[in-house]
This record gives sequence, structure tokens and C-alpha cells, in this order.
Amino acid sequence: MARPLIAIEGVGRRFVTSSGAVEAVRDVSLSVTEGEFCTIIGPSGCGKSTLLGLLGGLVVPDAGRVLIAGTAVRGPDPRSVATVFQDPGLFPWRTVVENIEFGLELQGVDRQTRRRTATDLLGPLGLRDFAAKYPRELSGGMRQRVAIGRALAIDTPIVLMDEPFGALDEQTRMLMGEWLLEIWRRTTKTVIFVTHSLNEALALSTRVVVMTARPGRIKSVLELLQPYPRAMESPEMVSLRAKLWSEIREESFRAMGDGA
Amino acid sequence: MRVALARAAIVAVVLLAWEIAARVGSPLLYVPPSAAVPALRDLLLLRSYPDLPENLLITTREIVVAYGLAVAAGLAVGFALGLYRTLGRVYGPMLAALYAVPAVVWYPSLMLFFGLDAASKIAFGFLLGFFPITLATLAGIRQVNPQLVTVARAFGARPATVFVKVLVPGMLFTLVGGLRTGLALSVVGVIVGEILGSKAGMGALINHAYGLLRTADYVALVVVTLVVVVATDAAASLLERRARRWTE
Repeated sequence: MARPLIAIEGVGRRFVTSSGAVEAVRDVSLSVTEGEFCTIIGPSGCGKSTLLGLLGGLVVPDAGRVLIAGTAVRGPDPRSVATVFQDPGLFPWRTVVENIEFGLELQGVDRQTRRRTATDLLGPLGLRDFAAKYPRELSGGMRQRVAIGRALAIDTPIVLMDEPFGALDEQTRMLMGEWLLEIWRRTTKTVIFVTHSLNEALALSTRVVVMTARPGRIKSVLELLQPYPRAMESPEMVSLRAKLWSEIREESFRAMGDGA
Repeated sequence: MRVALARAAIVAVVLLAWEIAARVGSPLLYVPPSAAVPALRDLLLLRSYPDLPENLLITTREIVVAYGLAVAAGLAVGFALGLYRTLGRVYGPMLAALYAVPAVVWYPSLMLFFGLDAASKIAFGFLLGFFPITLATLAGIRQVNPQLVTVARAFGARPATVFVKVLVPGMLFTLVGGLRTGLALSVVGVIVGEILGSKAGMGALINHAYGLLRTADYVALVVVTLVVVVATDAAASLLERRARRWTE
């Protein structure tokens, strides 16, 4: 096995809210190897987004540490990690191509180079004719592709995706999944993907990490060696789905009981 | 074209009604257009008030200084209260309460503090312009989608970069609206200040004409003042449209 690119060691984090302290994640340890597509799944409020925040350096752990390529994360590092959020967070005053360039602009890449990089991405993103459009002129799926383009443009070894397709309808979601798989397989990027969707997790991942209800801990890990593209109707995938669901069901039930 | 015609028609009707009413009533008090137009010509040819240019300049200078100060202080206070939450929570409500007080009640104090010269007019114009600029800055900051700030931070933006690349463009539209309102109110402040008590400026001339019952000259002076105000507002609206185009 290759060396772990990401090592999460005994990480814990609580937040103080108006209704008291909330323990988002407790004693989470996980290591991810280069090139993996690792999906984190679990009930609402199980700290999945907190975990991504910790990896992206936007959230500081109270306990434990997060290492990327052997170095402790001390804050956002756009040279190693790029993030795609559930709310795409596109800048409404920037065109598609200017949004994609954003990260490069912050890194001081010159205008011509960053424009070329962004323009080259438009084809794979399926946005070739939309370079000069503004976010409000795009559909939800297209906006999310722009956000993915913005993350891919800075060409980091790690891409974090926080329910990127969560707000899309199911058909668009499936197509976007296939598209993402295509992109990922063409690169050597490591993807950490958060989702609610069992099908998405099973279709895309090399590994699925199931988290418990709050406080989020790792309940189980499922390795998936099936080749892509995966036929979700095959008996093997159906039984994997049943297994994954039984793991998650219990936790979702508990989360509901908490009044989540 | 039709719209322009309709507008011209209503103006003509009003002027005609005014003319008739003024002649039937008292031409001295109601100043019919037939008397106002020659008065305006005399004013512009510097026959009735030869010192019109100096006074116009004084008023303009007061407006520029008052507005400049209002912009500087309004942006500084607005950003301080908007970016430092504790400050905003403590002082924001006080500011809004002060804004609700009819500002003209402060004017006598301003005259006592700053005298009858330009300083008190500048202070009053500043006071009126300051509030809308501060409050628009605060509102603009609140309007910026926090997700955009998170995204910028995730991509490595430091606070100064977040300010320039996210905050300012995100709030620009609201901010420019506040700057425009602030300009209009600074102009009002300076002119009202001059009318309430001054030795120079358009307000002083207006007072002079009015005091001597030179009503036709008074109307002519008001028209000139109006043109100045409308011109500044038109310039401001041009800038606002520029900003909007840039934001979108």
C-alpha cells in the first residue's frame, strides 16, 4: 500500500452555539492513500462537513491533528487542497471563466496563463459556450460545475467535495456523478467526498466511510474494488447497498431521535 | 417621443395656471413666470446680484468639503462597526437612533460651535451626509454572502484580499446607493444651513432677496440653486450606473 497522503489522528472538535456546546466530531482517525476516492457518509449533523473543514484548514481541531503529506494542517493551503462546497459560492460579479480563475488569481498567476488554464477546463466542464456568462444565467448543475472547475484550476493533489450535488435533482445528480468519475479517473487526484446518497457513494468511491450520529465518529469502512463504471443493479452492488444501508439506518434513526 | 410631449404639456399647463393664479392674486407674492424669467436673465447677466459667482463658489466649496468629510468618516465608521462585530453590536443601535432625530435640531448648536461662516454649514452638510453613508456601509457588509468569504478563505485569501476581492465588490451596489443619498443630503445640509443663518453663499443671497421682498429675484436664485443640485445628482447617478454595470 502506498504511503498515506492524508492522516487524521484522533481528531475532535466542539462548537459553541446559542443552545450550548455541540460536539461535532470525536476521536476520528482515518488515513487516505494517494489517488483514492474516499466518500464520507452519515446522518445529518454527523460532523461530515466539520471533517472536511478540518482537512481544508478552515476549522481548527480541539484534539488530535490532521496531517497532509506528513505536515500538520495549520490553515487553508491552496497548494495542496481545493474545496467544492455544497453552496457553490460563485462570485456573482465574475463571469464563468473569471470564477474559475479565482484561485489562480490569488496565487499571483499572470492574467494570460490563468485565462488559458481556465479556458482549457471549459471543455471538460461542458461549459465551452458559457465562458462569458454570469452565474445567475446558469442552471444549478452548471453552477456546480463552475465551482468544480474553480477547484480543479489550482490543480491540487487533494480535492474536498462537500455534498457538491446535494442541491441537484436526481437525474442531473447521476449525470454529474458519471462526469466527475470521468474527470477523477483521468487524473491522480485524491478526492474526499461527502454525501447523503448511498447510490452516489457506491457508484463513485474506492472506499466508503460511515459516520455515527453526533458526536461523529467512524462507525465502519467499506472498501470497494469493483471496476468502473459500476452496474448498480448487479446482485453484488445491490447487496453492498443493503449492507451500507443497514449501517447507516441505525445512525440516521438515532439522529432523528435527537430531534435533528 | 410621446412621453416627452406629455411631459412638456404638463409643464406648460402648470406654468400657465401659475401665471393666471399669480396675476389674479398678487404678482409680488406669487411671482408669475413672466416676471421670473426676466429676473433669471438679470441674475445670470450679473445685473441683480453681481456677486453671484463668488457665492455660488462658496456654496459649492462647502458642499465639496462637507461631502468629502462625510464620505471619509462614513466609510471609516461603517467599516469599523461592520467588520468588528462587538463594536457594531455596541454602537450600531445608537447610530440608528441618532439618525432618527430630525437633524435640523442640531443646527443651532452647530452655529454656536462653529459660528456663522462656512464651518457651520460644512458641519451640517457633513452631519446629514454622514448617516446614510455609514448605514449603507453597514448594510452592504451584512449583505455580502458569508459563503463567498468562506470560499475565498479556502482558496487562500488573507483578510486584505477578502476585503478587496469579496467584500467591496459584494457590497458595492448598496454602498454606491448610500454615497448618492449622502451627497443629496450634504447638499441639502449646506443650503439649509446657509438659509438658516449665513453671510455668504447661495442661501445668504436667497435670504437677502426674500428679506427685501425681491420675490422675482428670489425665485431666480432658487432656480439657479436647483440647477446646481440637479447637476450634482445627475453626476452621482451616472457614477451609480457605472458601478452597477461593474458589479453585475
